[in-house]
Amino acid sequence: MFKKILSYIFILFGLAELVASTSRIAMGYIAEKRDNDKWWGVEQLRHGDLASISGLAFLNKFNSDTRNNLKRVSYDGPKNTTLFIHGDSYLWKIQNGDSLFAGVSSLQYIGWNSHYHYHFDSPGKNILIIEVSERLVRDFYGTTEIIDELTDTILSQGRNSAIISSLQPDLVYNSFCFQFNRGDLFNKYINQNLQCNLFNYNFMTPMFGCKAASNYYLFNRASGDVVISADKQYLFFKQTLSLSDKGSSYSFIPDSEITLLINNFNTICEYYKKTGFKEVYLSIIPNTVTVVQPEGYNNLIPRVQKDPRLKMKIIDAYSMLKESKEDVFLHGDTHWNSTGKQKWIDMVNKVLVSM
Amino acid sequence: MTFNSLQFLVFFMVVTLWFFRLKNQKGRIWLLLIASCYFYMSFIPEYILILGGTIIVDYIAGFLIERNEGKKRMFWLVISLVANIGALAVFKYYNFFIHNIERSFSLFHLTISIPFLKMALPIGLSFHTFQAMSYTIEVYRRKQAAEKNFVVYALYVMFYPQLVAGPIERPQNVLPQLKEFRPYNWDNVKEGLARMLWGFFKKVVIADRLAMVVDRTFAHTSETSSIALFTGAVFYSFQIYCDFSGYSDIAIGAAKVMNIRLMENFNQPYLSKSIREFWSRWHISLSSWFRDYLYIPLGGNRNGTLRHKINILIVFLLSGLWHGANGTFVIWGLLHGLFVLLLTMNYEKTKEKIGSFLSAILIVFNFVLVTFLWIFFRSENLNAAWRYIKAILSFRGGSNYLGFSSRNEFIFSILVIGIMMFREKLLPGHVVRSNARFYFYTIMMVVICYYFGVFAENQFIYFQF
Repeated sequence: MFKKILSYIFILFGLAELVASTSRIAMGYIAEKRDNDKWWGVEQLRHGDLASISGLAFLNKFNSDTRNNLKRVSYDGPKNTTLFIHGDSYLWKIQNGDSLFAGVSSLQYIGWNSHYHYHFDSPGKNILIIEVSERLVRDFYGTTEIIDELTDTILSQGRNSAIISSLQPDLVYNSFCFQFNRGDLFNKYINQNLQCNLFNYNFMTPMFGCKAASNYYLFNRASGDVVISADKQYLFFKQTLSLSDKGSSYSFIPDSEITLLINNFNTICEYYKKTGFKEVYLSIIPNTVTVVQPEGYNNLIPRVQKDPRLKMKIIDAYSMLKESKEDVFLHGDTHWNSTGKQKWIDMVNKVLVSM
Repeated sequence: MTFNSLQFLVFFMVVTLWFFRLKNQKGRIWLLLIASCYFYMSFIPEYILILGGTIIVDYIAGFLIERNEGKKRMFWLVISLVANIGALAVFKYYNFFIHNIERSFSLFHLTISIPFLKMALPIGLSFHTFQAMSYTIEVYRRKQAAEKNFVVYALYVMFYPQLVAGPIERPQNVLPQLKEFRPYNWDNVKEGLARMLWGFFKKVVIADRLAMVVDRTFAHTSETSSIALFTGAVFYSFQIYCDFSGYSDIAIGAAKVMNIRLMENFNQPYLSKSIREFWSRWHISLSSWFRDYLYIPLGGNRNGTLRHKINILIVFLLSGLWHGANGTFVIWGLLHGLFVLLLTMNYEKTKEKIGSFLSAILIVFNFVLVTFLWIFFRSENLNAAWRYIKAILSFRGGSNYLGFSSRNEFIFSILVIGIMMFREKLLPGHVVRSNARFYFYTIMMVVICYYFGVFAENQFIYFQF
C-alpha cells in the first residue's frame, strides 16, 4: 500500500514538473516567487551569469560586479529629443536613464521579446537606436522572417504610429503543412526549466560548486556552456566560440548572409524612417571573445559596418571596445562592465549632441 | 528529448510508474503509445505526421497482404515499400540527388536549377522506416500474422526507447511482448536500470568527453600534427561506439524495466579480428536487417563467387547510404565492403589455426583499419576526409593541442576507455541479484556520471540517421 501511494505521488510530481517546466506562465510565476535569498530561492547570478552558471563564482577573478555605476551627463543644451532604444540585456535596467543621455527629454527602452506601440506626440526629434549583441545578430536579422513581420504586421500602422518589435526566432516556425506555436506545447527550454525547478536551489549551490571545483582543479576547465579563456582570466559563453553556431565569433559566415543582413537592416531603417523617426542607428555589441581572444574572428561586425551598401548609421561599439585600454568586459559574465557601458553611452551622447 | 536530458529522466519515471499501476494491457499500450508520441514530438512536433502516414499505410498494407494472394499480395507489399522508401527518398535523399544532378550538368557547362527541400531530416527516419518495412516483409513471407490492433501496430513502430535510434526490431520479437500482460518484476527493473546507468556513463562520461578532442581535430586538420590527428581519429572510434552503444544500452534497459526484451545491438565490436566479424558485432540490428531483407533475397552466396562479391558490395553500398545522403557515407560503406572481400576471405578459411598472439595483432590491425574508415564517416565531405588521412600519413609536426585544457583529462579519458572495455569484456551482463549491491552500484554510477560527466546537451550521433 505504501509503495502504491508513493508511486502515485511520484507520478503526480513528475507530471506537475513536466507541465510547469513547459508552461511559460508557470515558469514566470515560479521565477518571480523564487527570486530571493532564502534556501529555496533560485541562484541570483549576482556574481555574473557565467560565473554562477559554471559554479566558478568562488574564484575571485571570475566573481563579477554586475551593478551599474553610470554617471549623469552634464549637458546644458535643450532637451528636445525622444530617444528610443530597442535593446537587449547589454542595456538592461537603463529604462530610467533619461539623465544619462544628452538632450534627451524622454527615454523609451524597448527590450527584446517585447512590443511597443508608439505615437509621436511630441514636437521634438525622435531617434531610434537598435542595439543588439553580436551573438544574436544572425539569428534575429539574418533571416527573411523579420522582414515578413515588418511587412505583414508593422506596416499596417500609419505614419507617426508604429510598433517597435522583435522576433522570437524559436517561436516562429514554418511547418510544411500547418503552423502552430510549438512553444505552447513543447518548450525548447524545458531542460533548463527542469534544472531550475529540481536542482537550482540556494541550498544546493555547494554541490554544484563541488563539481565545478573538481572540473576546474582536475581538468582546468569549466562545465557545461561555459569556457575559460586562453589567458584563464575570462569566462566565455560556449556558444560564442563554436565553429558552427550562428552566435559564435568563430563560425564561418558566407558573403550571401552578410548581404542578407545588410538588406534587412536597410529595409528596417527605411521603414522606421518612414514612420517618422529622424534617424535610426544600429549598434552591434561584440561578444567578449571577439575583443579578448580575436584570433580566428569571422569579422562579422566590421563586414557589416564597413559595407558600402549599408544605409543605416552606426554607433561603432566594436572599434570603441577593441581600442579601449581599460577593462571593458566582466570576467565572469557575458556582458560588458560599467566602464564599457559608460563608454558606449558617451559615444551615443556625442552623436546626440552633434545632431 | 534526448536520453541524456532531465526531461527524459522525469518522463521515464512518470511513464514507468504509471505503466505498472495499470492493471490491463490495453491501458498500458495506450499509455506507451501516447508517451511515445510525446517523446517523438518533443523533437519537432510536425514530423509525427510523416511517421503517422507511414504507420497507416503499413498497417493497411499488412492487413491486405495477409488477405490476398499472388500478384495482389505482392502489390500491397510494393505499396508499403514505396511508401517507406519514398519517405526516405523525399526527406533524406532528395537534396543529395538534386545536388548531384546539378553537379553532373555542370561538368558539361550546363546550369540547371531545381529547388531544394528546406527542412530538417525527421529524427530517426531511417530507423523506424526500416522497422516498419520488416513488418510488411515478414507478413508477406507469412512469418508474421498481420496485426489487427492498430494501436499495437503503431506502438510497435513508435515504442519510445527504440523509436529514434534503434535497435531496429523485428515484429516476431516485439509484437507478442506488447500484447502480453507482464507483471512487475523487480529483477528486471534492477537489470534495466543498471543497464541504463551504464549507457549514461558511456554517453556522458566517455563519448561527450572524447567529443571535445574529436571536434577539435576534425575542425583544425590543417594545423594539427599527425599524432594528434591520429589520436582524434582513435577517440572518434570510441566516441561513436560509446555514443551509439550507450544509446542502445539505455533503450534496451528502459524496455527491460517494463519487461520488454529488445534485441542486442553491439557485442564488443573493437575486439573483432576482421571487418566481417566487426559487422557481426556492430549495429547488429541493422546488419542483420540487410542480411535478411537484401543480401539473402539478392542470392547471398548461392550464385557463384562473382555474384556473391557483387551482392556484398551492394549491401555495403546501401548500408553506407542508409547512414546519410553524403558521398562520405557511400565511400565508407563501399570501403567496408571492399575490405570484407579483400581481407576476410583467406582469414575465414584459417581462423581455427590462429593463436592468441596473432589474434591480438589482428584485433589491433582491424581496429586501426576501422578507425581510418571512420574518418570518412565523421568528415563533412570527401575532400576533408582525404585531407585528414593524408595529414596522418604524412607524419608531420604541428599543433599537438587536442582540445583538452589539461593532461589529466587525456589520462582520465584513456582510463575510462580502459575501464569500459574491460568491464564489457569481463562483466558483459547487467544482472544485479543483491539489492544492496544494486543500490550501491546505482549511487556510485549516479555520482560518477554527475561529477565526471560532460553535460553539453550533445545529441546522440545516430539521431541524424
